[in-house]
Amino acid sequence: MTSTATQTGAFPSPYEIETPEGCEGWQEMYPYYALFDERRRESDENRFWFWNSMHFPTPHPAFDVICIDSPYQAVGSWQNRVFAVPPAMGIDYRCVNGYIYISGNPVTDPAKIAERAGFFQRRAGYYYENWPELYDRWRAKMESLIAELVALEVPDLPEYEPDEVAFSEERNTAFYEVLHAYGRVLRLGDLMWQHHFEFLLLGYGAYATFAELCKTNLPDIPDQHIAQMVAGIDVLLFRPDAELRRLAALALEREVDGAFVQDRSPTEIEAELARSDAGRAWLEELERVKDPWFNMATGDGLTHYYRSWLDDPSIPYASIVGHISALRSGEQAARPTEEIERERERLAQEYGSLLPDEVRGPWQDLLALSRTVFPYVEEHKFYCDYWFLTRWWNKVREFGALLANHDFLEDGEDIFHLSRHEVSTALDELVLTWATGGLALGPKYWPPIVARRKELIERLGQWTPPPALGIEPAEVTDPMTIMLWGVTTDRVREWARQTAGGTSLNGAAASPGTIEGPARVVRSVTEIAEVRDGEILVCGSTSPAWAPIFSKIKGTVTDVGGVMSHAAIVCREYGLPAVVGTGRATAQIRTGQRIRVDGSAGVVTLVGEE
Amino acid sequence: MGHTRRLDELTAGDADRFGGKSAGLGELLRAEIPVPPGFALDADATELDDALRTELADRYAELGTGAGAGSPDPPVAVRSSAIGEDSAEATFAGQQDTYLWVRGVDEVGEAVTRCWASLHSAEAVAYRERFHVARPAMGVTVQLMVDAAVSGVLFTCNPVTGDPSMVAINAAWGLGLAVVGGEVTPDDYLVSKVTGEIVRATVNDKRIEYVPAEHGTRRVEVGEDRRAAPCLDDGTIVRLVELGTGIARHFGSPQDVEWAIDRAGELFALQSRPVTGLPQPQAASAPTSAMALVMKRFGA
Repeated sequence: MTSTATQTGAFPSPYEIETPEGCEGWQEMYPYYALFDERRRESDENRFWFWNSMHFPTPHPAFDVICIDSPYQAVGSWQNRVFAVPPAMGIDYRCVNGYIYISGNPVTDPAKIAERAGFFQRRAGYYYENWPELYDRWRAKMESLIAELVALEVPDLPEYEPDEVAFSEERNTAFYEVLHAYGRVLRLGDLMWQHHFEFLLLGYGAYATFAELCKTNLPDIPDQHIAQMVAGIDVLLFRPDAELRRLAALALEREVDGAFVQDRSPTEIEAELARSDAGRAWLEELERVKDPWFNMATGDGLTHYYRSWLDDPSIPYASIVGHISALRSGEQAARPTEEIERERERLAQEYGSLLPDEVRGPWQDLLALSRTVFPYVEEHKFYCDYWFLTRWWNKVREFGALLANHDFLEDGEDIFHLSRHEVSTALDELVLTWATGGLALGPKYWPPIVARRKELIERLGQWTPPPALGIEPAEVTDPMTIMLWGVTTDRVREWARQTAGGTSLNGAAASPGTIEGPARVVRSVTEIAEVRDGEILVCGSTSPAWAPIFSKIKGTVTDVGGVMSHAAIVCREYGLPAVVGTGRATAQIRTGQRIRVDGSAGVVTLVGEE
Repeated sequence: MGHTRRLDELTAGDADRFGGKSAGLGELLRAEIPVPPGFALDADATELDDALRTELADRYAELGTGAGAGSPDPPVAVRSSAIGEDSAEATFAGQQDTYLWVRGVDEVGEAVTRCWASLHSAEAVAYRERFHVARPAMGVTVQLMVDAAVSGVLFTCNPVTGDPSMVAINAAWGLGLAVVGGEVTPDDYLVSKVTGEIVRATVNDKRIEYVPAEHGTRRVEVGEDRRAAPCLDDGTIVRLVELGTGIARHFGSPQDVEWAIDRAGELFALQSRPVTGLPQPQAASAPTSAMALVMKRFGA
């Protein structure tokens, strides 16, 4: 066996990471192929892996592994097998102490790269040329997929099958229906992920090309000006919050705003509204808004923790309360879209005029292309990550309830501590013993496993993963790593420096301005309620659905993300300084610590330690 | 008068006779840029004879009675204005002499004589040889002194990266000597021309400054309370950006501007010259088309 003991890079070897105390056996929650295995050591130890804290900020529950497998199956399929992006195949992932690390597979053979370029040019060219039509079709595809998911029934297991099963050709017995429905739920998820990545690479690619051309000719242009020139005005993602503002304005107009008292629960607010005609009319309007705008998630949706506004109305209600008080103090109800539009055109005009003549034409074409593709880049989040996934997790919950009804689980939510294959096995036994009338072992078998895994997830949550593992690459060349995660050569250098410690963090300047204040480290969406007015949010990453938080905080720092990340977009909207993609802010900053966020320079300073 | 003109009588076309600095200031005045009033000596004046002494005295008296003087023998700056100084390839910056806070006609005459002598300094000779500046001749600029609270330089592009959408500003306390001479680490700002946003702001520890002395200037320590304090506020930065972009627009090329703000808060341009040695962004390959660039981004 070849010796690989020498660790040359700046980051820890994935094979030298210790298991936190009391977490022995964490590996049982994950598939064998997700682990750093000795039999793959020679290859895995000599690669660069970075923690995907943008998508997986907390220890990953066993069931939710499907939301790693499916997306990487899908992104690899499009990138490697359909579009054949010349220098980059797909993305591998591994799990360490419950956290997910990823690494791209490069194509290095020049002949292969040339061969793939032929595929890419033909196929990607087709998409760019026909983008609006293809995207219209995509939206229809997604809407019908969501409709199928919502309509899918999780059958019960009755003592006696209904007459139809006996007398009709059409009906199947419940054992088949349960297994079929479970299989279908999993496949619908796969389909969503397939759709999710169909446009994503090309969309980000066009934008990244525009950004690069800007930066080549205007080396100091702030990233947010590039984003401002491209970003749409009527962005779908802003619509849910816009609807909340509208509802807030409506409450004032109908004089029912007295019901919206801070810290009152949604149920209490609705009960008071239901007592008057005007209040009831407002509630009717709320119902109309809910479909689809309340299918907004409290996070990026890649784990079951993120619920929708439908599941947890306290979030939109808190927002409405905030909007009402803003309106009372004279703020405008609607986003100043005309002003944003004018500023976007003015920036494009002024920057365009500063460019060399020979660059201006291609630059204008790229700006137009970026604007064409950008709606997808933003809107897919709503369709896929929020609307579909929150519904999908709820569908899985229905199987959890079924298993809990038959004592295979103590609580329906426990289903997320079993892998999708274990759930399949449990359902197999459930329908088997339902059919035979025999004694099920499941009620004795599964609950202890779930109990241990809950403890594991809890304990692993205390561990802080290093930003990267393995070797420090001489250069980050994978276009996807750069475009989707903002992991550039410079960023990796910075991580390497910070691995040795430091009192300031660098990241991307995402939203201009400088602010100093106490930090609030938020590791998962469940901690949102702890955020206090005037704090600076420090987190892995955010989603715009965290709207209530943004009206409280003074600035934002994230571990991962570029200037097009949602933390960046929302902070620009709210006028809050933000630095994104710092690599390890959540590891280096403690709640309560004073920090200074320079959103124009992309630097976070730990004030007490200067 | 024979060898002198008021600065506002000069244009770029007078550079051959009065030197680049004087002609440049004339251009600035034509563009209605705030410049301290002054006059220029041409390059044919090489000896301080009685005729020239009288002419200088008249011009100086005229300055003393004009706007902004405040005294019949106002302090002035006397600087050399070399012929060929403003060629874009070779900036004579700092190669000739500058005399600040010169008062009275006798001192002015002395400063003029010393400027002429600087033509023959070893540095000036070496410089001319290196850049093949043939004619060893110069004019002299005499300008009302700005009693600067803050002064510095600005570039109407980022001189490091060549970005044309930026204005770079260096600023320090007192007269401009400290910044131009590199005796102080100035506050450093990078500002977007497009939005006015301050993209980078570094406030440095400004240990010394130059202030007027009875004759000339003196170098003093900056008090603890001001050393680390920013010497520009946001409103002043906006004015500096407007000053710089106005000058660049008039000349049609990126400019390197010396400026000063007097104790009343009034901003002046003291001189302007084309930025030299600018990096050429992306000279290598002009893009062929948008789609070709996207393909390249994906490595295709």
